[in-house]
Amino acid sequence: MTHALVLGRRALREGIRTPEAIVPTLFIPLFFLVVNVGQVARIFPGSSTAFLHGQGYGAFQLPSSMLLAASFGSAALFLVEEIEGGYFDKLRATPVRRSAIVLGRLIAEGVKALVIASLLVLLGLAFGITIASGVLGFVLLILLTAGWAVVYAGFMQVIALKTRSAAATNSAGLIFFPLLFLTPNFVPRDLLTRPMEIAATFNPVTYVMEALRSLILVDLAWETVGLGFLVIVVSAAIMLAISIRVIRNYD
Amino acid sequence: MRQTVERETFREKGQSVREGMAAVEAEGLVKTYRSRGGTVEAVRGVDLRVDAGEVFGFLGPNGAGKSTTVKMLTTLLSITHGTARVAGLDVARRPDDVRRSIGVALQEAGLDPRQTGRELLELQGRLFDLTAGQASMRAESLLDLVELTEAADRPIKGYSGGMKRRLDLASALVHEPAVLFLDEPTTGLDPASRITVWDEVRRINERGTTVFLTTQYLEEADQLCDRLAIIDDGRIVREGTPLQLKLELRERLGLDRDATLDDVFLDATGRTRTRVEGEVQEVSA
Repeated sequence: MTHALVLGRRALREGIRTPEAIVPTLFIPLFFLVVNVGQVARIFPGSSTAFLHGQGYGAFQLPSSMLLAASFGSAALFLVEEIEGGYFDKLRATPVRRSAIVLGRLIAEGVKALVIASLLVLLGLAFGITIASGVLGFVLLILLTAGWAVVYAGFMQVIALKTRSAAATNSAGLIFFPLLFLTPNFVPRDLLTRPMEIAATFNPVTYVMEALRSLILVDLAWETVGLGFLVIVVSAAIMLAISIRVIRNYD
Repeated sequence: MRQTVERETFREKGQSVREGMAAVEAEGLVKTYRSRGGTVEAVRGVDLRVDAGEVFGFLGPNGAGKSTTVKMLTTLLSITHGTARVAGLDVARRPDDVRRSIGVALQEAGLDPRQTGRELLELQGRLFDLTAGQASMRAESLLDLVELTEAADRPIKGYSGGMKRRLDLASALVHEPAVLFLDEPTTGLDPASRITVWDEVRRINERGTTVFLTTQYLEEADQLCDRLAIIDDGRIVREGTPLQLKLELRERLGLDRDATLDDVFLDATGRTRTRVEGEVQEVSA
């Protein structure tokens, strides 16, 4: 674990020294939040829309923006750069566990996501959104978002390790858009059309989004929150197993 | 005293090689790749023995299999067939122990451009299980060794090619390896930087480290290597000391002048000066 932490600290330093890679992670989700709320808020007024639980539409949209921010991690692109530049081989020539090489960057992505998710929520609070589940809910919101960031960064790292190409990794990253839009993104699941509802039910992102949303709108709905964490834990375990297998067989 | 303590720390974890023992041994080493065009045989049965304490040169034209062989010996590539032992350890069976015993500086100086030289060396030390304090002390002494103390706290992306090579070399020495693999360490360097790297290699070797060096520069091999092997098309085609190889060629061809290592290389790889010049012209065009 020491090696993973040491590598994680290095990846964090790399992130801090590349602010141009972090700034869009905050601003693009904010942009989508403002645009989506601007387009739909009048259709769903807080006073007469049951699924908003008395809040504005911004509170309903905030989880989408948090998940979008969590999916903008740059770990995989830094990894490709490292593969192309030869530093990855330098790391592979050291006696560290292969899992530590994978985990180092994921730890850094998790920490970055904690900070960015906190900033997004704090901005939301400044604009009148309230967290129905209180301080504990705030912590869970941030942890869920960071968890998703780790899962998605792990998936992207697998693509980077398999393709060793920045272009292919970048393209694969776009898969988040179908994943994000095949969810109850604009309305709750029971208001979706039947085909969209089926698609959303099979989409793991749905459960993370619903967990985040329940923390903001409903209070501590443990079943929903638990399901969100379960999705993250299972996805993380699968992703980690695949990553370690790929890096062990890396030739 | 500090160096003695450090050396003991490294030796506890890695494997040392004694004089007379083989530092690198390979038998029937084969590497094949599957590509869209079919199977490519990059290395076709390499046998090698490098004794402890030697500077061993591994020469060959582009694409001959030098880097592939080095990558197999350093655990970075799987071995298709054959066996390899480095510092007495089986490369395929005990890769982590091999990694503790070797230092690696590959063709492209593999450095993280966003770190400073000091951070890179300290990180490398931590990855070889040094404590933060030990890693910091070791980084300091290595920066001094490769004359990068002044640039130590600057980001690596601002370093010149020569500085990057020296830092890469230093990072390969963090854990005082028994065997140091250098893959074309001076490619792309100006003559002054090249001589600095040669001096470092000699100094490292004098301190007991076996050096396995690949190069395309025959003068470099002549200057540095105790023994060398020439690989062509994935097979070893000559092996011996530079002097032995030159004498053998002079005798065999009945030359009325001393043979050079260039002559040995051209003879071994079936290339002619005309063809080589042609290739060079093609590259420069």
